[in-house]
Amino acid sequence: MAQAVKESKEEKFSSDRVLDLYANLTMEIWEIVSALIGEAILSFLFALAIRKIGEKYPFLNSLKVSEEGISSDEVRKDCRKMAPLEIHRGFQSLINQLSHLFSALTEGVINKELFPKVLPKVREADRMISQK
Amino acid sequence: MRLIFKNLNILRSIINAISTGMASEVKGIVESAGSSLLNLFDFSVFGVLWKEGPVLHLFQEESCPPSLTQEVVKNMIRVFSTLEEKPIEIERVTLQVEKRRLRPNQMMMDPQATLKSYLTLPLAVEGEIIGCISINSDQPNAFDAQDLQFFSVIGYQMAATLKHFQRFSSVKKEAIYDTLTSLFNRRYFEEKLVVDAQKAFHSSSNLSIIMVDIDHFKKVNDTFGHAGGDKVLHEIASLLKNSVRRQDDTVARYGGEEFVLVLPGVPLEATSTIAERIRQSVANTAIDIGQSQIHLTISLGISNFPIHRAKSKEELVKMADLALYEAKRGGRNRVCIFGSGQG
Repeated sequence: MAQAVKESKEEKFSSDRVLDLYANLTMEIWEIVSALIGEAILSFLFALAIRKIGEKYPFLNSLKVSEEGISSDEVRKDCRKMAPLEIHRGFQSLINQLSHLFSALTEGVINKELFPKVLPKVREADRMISQK
Repeated sequence: MRLIFKNLNILRSIINAISTGMASEVKGIVESAGSSLLNLFDFSVFGVLWKEGPVLHLFQEESCPPSLTQEVVKNMIRVFSTLEEKPIEIERVTLQVEKRRLRPNQMMMDPQATLKSYLTLPLAVEGEIIGCISINSDQPNAFDAQDLQFFSVIGYQMAATLKHFQRFSSVKKEAIYDTLTSLFNRRYFEEKLVVDAQKAFHSSSNLSIIMVDIDHFKKVNDTFGHAGGDKVLHEIASLLKNSVRRQDDTVARYGGEEFVLVLPGVPLEATSTIAERIRQSVANTAIDIGQSQIHLTISLGISNFPIHRAKSKEELVKMADLALYEAKRGGRNRVCIFGSGQG
């Protein structure tokens, strides 16, 4: 019983950590890309990507996107019950989809600005998941 | 720093060019924006794809090879389809190309040039995509992050301007079209008739009017209800619309089950032929209402300037109306010319 409680706590802790990491990451993406293309276009692209990836990872549909920015507060409630790997995969797919959209629109111009800052954090999430 | 100020000034003038072009056509806005963009970017083709239509306006270097133009068209449609999450068939897109000398003679484009780099941005307003905007080059890596920043500002202005256009054209549409039949409404008919009559009376050219009324329409409403009646009005309106091809001709719903056609420059004999063709077309068409199929007929009255010597547009309309009355009185399903008793 005590063991089960401990595992559950670890899981929660880990899910929170993965989510924190991705919440910061999406905010960072927002900061970088909105400076290039503006908030209205970016919120449109985020909404598009969430709609697409949200089909496979429904928890992403709770991400709130507006011209003011992106908020993960609602996602946090859902994610507490989810496996960290699932959260990681969902956000990773979302970032890939965004990157695909940025590339379709501007070839490498956005991704060139984005990748150096974003990739290390995705790797960090990978490491976190594999350690677990 | 000086360069940034210079670019910001150029940007301001581009935005001004886009927003002051509001009163004219989209084509005009694209042209003035395209001309100003030259001061900011080195590009081969500037494109604006507007969802309404859809229409793709291209403003491009005169020496741009057609193959590159096609690449740009395909690429813009591909990107827009991705953004809209549904494919657009290239055949559906109306292409409007404006060619200009954007480069000095000695820098004419290679006829084999291909699309090497581009920036495309959605025209997004209030979460809705109304089109996309794109600059394209035959040079690799022609655009950088700063270009993208400037181009996005242009995109925002273009989106706001096109949205304004969209709203304006929607209001305009509501003001001149009959919502049930999609034909012009009576108000538009009267306004257009003023112009057509002025032209005809001034130059003694032909102006013909055909008044049309559906025979025994009340029975349709009584038998099939108002939904059935609406279906009939819609179907007959389509037949009337397809019976005239010239842009200058007007087909309008006059009121109830009555329609009117205004044919500037069409002599009486040709008008009579058109009216007879319409009559036959309606008589030969089976209209589906629910599980039933019905055949209906129409009566038509014709008047013509100068043959009938109308002194005013009102008199010309009244003459067509009297001829229609004659057609009804003569047994319906017929064409009557004013003054001749029967067709």
